Amino acid sequence: MAEQTLAAVPSLSSLYANALGRSARLMVRPLTQSTTLPDVVYRVADVPVDAEQLVSYQRVLGDVAASDRLPAGFVHVLGFPVAMAVMAREDFPLPLLGMVHVANRVDQLRALHIGEALEVRAWAEHLAAHRKGTQVELVVEVTGSATDGVAWRGRSTYLARGRTLPGLPAAPETPSAGTAWGQKLPQPTAQWHLGADTGRRYAEVSGDRNPIHMGSVPARLFGFKRAIAHGMYTAARALTAAVTGGAEVFSWDVTFGKPVLLPGRVAFAVRPAGGSGVSEGTAAGVEYLGWNARSGARHFSGSVTPLR
Amino acid sequence: MARKPAPAERSTAPVRKAAVIGGNRIPFGKAGGAYASAANLDMLTAALTGLVARFALQGERIGDVAGGAVLKHSRDFNLTREAVLGSGLDPHTSAFDTQRACGTSVEAVTAIANKIALGQIETGIAAGTDSTSDAPIVVSDRLRRTLMKLSRSKSVAEKVKLVGSLRPGDLAPVAPSVNEPRTGMSMGEHQAITTRRWSITREAQDEVALASHQNLARAYDDGLFDDLITPFRGLTRDQSLRPDTSAEKLAKLTPVFGTSSPGATMTAGNSTPLSDGAAAVLLGTDEWAAERGLPVLAHVVDAEAAAVDFVHGAEGLLMGGAYAVPRLLARQGLGLEDFTFIEIHEAFASTVLTTVAAWADEEFMQTKVHLPALGELDRSKLNVAGSSLAAGHPFAATGARIVATLATLLRRAKDAEPDEPARGLISVCAAGGQAVAMILEAPAAAKDGDR
Repeated sequence: MAEQTLAAVPSLSSLYANALGRSARLMVRPLTQSTTLPDVVYRVADVPVDAEQLVSYQRVLGDVAASDRLPAGFVHVLGFPVAMAVMAREDFPLPLLGMVHVANRVDQLRALHIGEALEVRAWAEHLAAHRKGTQVELVVEVTGSATDGVAWRGRSTYLARGRTLPGLPAAPETPSAGTAWGQKLPQPTAQWHLGADTGRRYAEVSGDRNPIHMGSVPARLFGFKRAIAHGMYTAARALTAAVTGGAEVFSWDVTFGKPVLLPGRVAFAVRPAGGSGVSEGTAAGVEYLGWNARSGARHFSGSVTPLR
Repeated sequence: MARKPAPAERSTAPVRKAAVIGGNRIPFGKAGGAYASAANLDMLTAALTGLVARFALQGERIGDVAGGAVLKHSRDFNLTREAVLGSGLDPHTSAFDTQRACGTSVEAVTAIANKIALGQIETGIAAGTDSTSDAPIVVSDRLRRTLMKLSRSKSVAEKVKLVGSLRPGDLAPVAPSVNEPRTGMSMGEHQAITTRRWSITREAQDEVALASHQNLARAYDDGLFDDLITPFRGLTRDQSLRPDTSAEKLAKLTPVFGTSSPGATMTAGNSTPLSDGAAAVLLGTDEWAAERGLPVLAHVVDAEAAAVDFVHGAEGLLMGGAYAVPRLLARQGLGLEDFTFIEIHEAFASTVLTTVAAWADEEFMQTKVHLPALGELDRSKLNVAGSSLAAGHPFAATGARIVATLATLLRRAKDAEPDEPARGLISVCAAGGQAVAMILEAPAAAKDGDR
């Protein structure tokens, strides 16, 4: 794939604005472009890390003690605009707005720290037919100052609902959120009281001002009753709650289910990986589940597994 | 030149046991009740002043004073030293603040007892106070951070931008949250899960609550607290005490915790009320007590702290006592049957019941505590003079209340049956999945010329 270096991390606001404009144009003149992904890797060297932004992120995520280590969810925030820029390209075969984040996986090979010069590379791959539309994976790789290669790799799976492209391989069937937990909901280990401004607060520290998170009025334009929490906000909170102490090298998975409407109360449970045993400890990693405290609808589930 | 003992010689010297000489507390008030206008410093000073009067310590320099509060105003950074200065003790008496949530004053007793045992001090005071009526209400995190940035900002434009970043919601005052910071759940919600896990019934919990009120009322009638309590602000007895409560009255109350699923059992009657109060304990060497003609109620034998992983759901938040006590007993080679009295802090009636059930559960003890089970507890030894459900629970004062009450009970038991050992066990659960346990033992009564 051809590598293309961008001068700086693109602004998410202008990407969203462009996408809105593109959606409007497409209403007039339907999509007639290719059905393949752009054959390009976007690269941004020397991505700055703002200490203030890091602390604000940690506060919003409920980290009890903010540290100089970049949380894995924060690295996602840093790399996200570069992936967005790939999806916002004119030759990207799916419309950026309205795509749903269905799953995310992060492999953190070493912890990144404030003060490191980060390099971000992003591309799209695995365009595949899903029974509800078309799905695509956006890969982001981040390297730090040391010459030890990729420190952080993220793979975000997005679904363009109701959109089909010809000649695509079928996406592998993946279990829906919370399948591993069985029918009966567990006892919660934590309760999250998410205020109406949860989406706006996360938007402030992540830059992701997708209208569906900003308030009930803009959210209604996109078919949601009320504003919904950012998926990566709930996943990052789950990571904070699930990981003990100094875990630095791990793989962090999440599958998203029903969106979290704001304001709302999310019940959360974490257990040692591989079943319901409580005394085995968390050395083999943990599994977590988030659900609506009132209706029981499952919002997300996932796991954190130590690597090496 | 006098030769100092070599370190090796010192370390083989027997460690002295610290004596509990006496205690003093103010009656505990209900939140918003008799002490609604009293601050932590007022109550701690009252408890210390009462102790000074009771043991004729006016103008005495005490070796050290340890005290604390759980809900603490930032201006009270030197709370205990300030209370000492207002107590009538010699102003040269040093003091420090300490905190281990609801185990604060047990920890303060441990700290003072250890200093005495090591020969660093001859006497000390351990104390605690808490007010939920005068809780430290603060500005929101966002307002505070913005105000701090404002004071650092140089340009007008920067200041305008900062002020503009505030939202109306940021201006609302924030009361201290007693929810666990890492789980967002209150202690009651946590304990409701533990209660279910151990299948503790509503009836069993109400029974513990009823016994607490009846035992505390009887202890007052028997004059037990004549030596332990000094009235304050018109209060002579604990405000939460209901001597006339009954199983029927307790059974009528609606559950308040764990109500999201059916079969909730925890009510306002079998949960500790929010309270205000303060308590203090006087400790010293046997010699220091004898010189002043003061009694030795009991010796501090040993203490143990424990913590559990409640964040990952592996254990209930308030189950620390199920770990601290077995470890302490194993170290001392004692079993539950070796104790005359057992004090388990009644954070909730079900905390007492789940702790007792865990001690007796062979599988739980083997797999989680890695020690043999302690067997069934003889309930007639449990909280015989009432506990927090009836007395109330000003967080940091509860440990000092229990130590002073138990030491007094042990002295009486030893005097009644001098040939039997009189040992007491304390277990206090605390926020953050913690607990503290302590053993007291009353020695034979000192006779003149014994030493």
